[in-house]
Amino acid sequence: MSAAKTLRKAIEAGDYPAVVAAIPYATYLGLTVAGDGDARIYRMPFRDDLIGSTRLGALHGGTVAGLLEVSMQLEVLIAETQPRLPYPVDFSVDYWRSAASVDTYCRCRLIRSGRRIAQVQAECWQDDPDKPVAFARADFLLRAIDQPSPG
Amino acid sequence: MTEPDEREQIDKRDPEVRAEIARQFNARIPHNGAIALEIVDVAGELVVTRLPYRDEFLGDPMARLWHTAIGTTAADSTCGLAVLLALPGLESLATLDLRMDYLRPAVADTALTIEAECHHVTQSVAFVRATLHQGERDRPTALCTAAFMRTGRSLIG
Repeated sequence: MSAAKTLRKAIEAGDYPAVVAAIPYATYLGLTVAGDGDARIYRMPFRDDLIGSTRLGALHGGTVAGLLEVSMQLEVLIAETQPRLPYPVDFSVDYWRSAASVDTYCRCRLIRSGRRIAQVQAECWQDDPDKPVAFARADFLLRAIDQPSPG
Repeated sequence: MTEPDEREQIDKRDPEVRAEIARQFNARIPHNGAIALEIVDVAGELVVTRLPYRDEFLGDPMARLWHTAIGTTAADSTCGLAVLLALPGLESLATLDLRMDYLRPAVADTALTIEAECHHVTQSVAFVRATLHQGERDRPTALCTAAFMRTGRSLIG
């Protein structure tokens, strides 16, 4: 079975581990997806090698950005009824608090999913969902799953 | 080389001093080590790093393209280094915000080069921009703009 078909089946079946496995960088970050319907929560388990400042025991800002961007991408991928691959067009992140050496969670809001572009926001937090550590927004270009990627 | 710990003793115009600051900066960031971010050139205002390719960094394994988000991590680190080298002393910094424009996909099997320039500094904030490419500077894969907050605290001690 082709990689595209495997991914399509995983999305249709709601097999989140298989969807994450289709994106090597999501696997590298150790992302997991929990929940169903519209209330998915993405999690990046703490790992020593995600640290950016040993002195502060803080996660590298890039790993927090990575969690936000990959979660938004997965959200688009999973929420789409006809699976299309979301390619990030642009991304921006606001850092609100330092991220500590613990697991980080993310939830996304798919603002709009049009013919070609999906627009998404996301927030991530650690111990307290009411104290988010970062906020991000991104636009994604949507391509049919078996069409050639942009070049 | 001894660790520069007095603001007055640091001459950031000296390429050797800049190289040593960059080396220590990179060595103190575990995630930079994990992704194997390399310092290429910090002699001038344009701070250059390189991220060697790894299969783990793919975003689209079918088309064999880098994930855009790993470029964001490399850009964040490189922008932070550019700011550190542009400020007097060795000041602790915090990324306030960062934006990426993904102009074209980065292809597998080729390293990413990140070039960052801190173009404006105020008492509280440093502004920086970066270009990501795969060997052809006039064909960037991504552009980055970021703002860093100055904490006023020393990185050392």
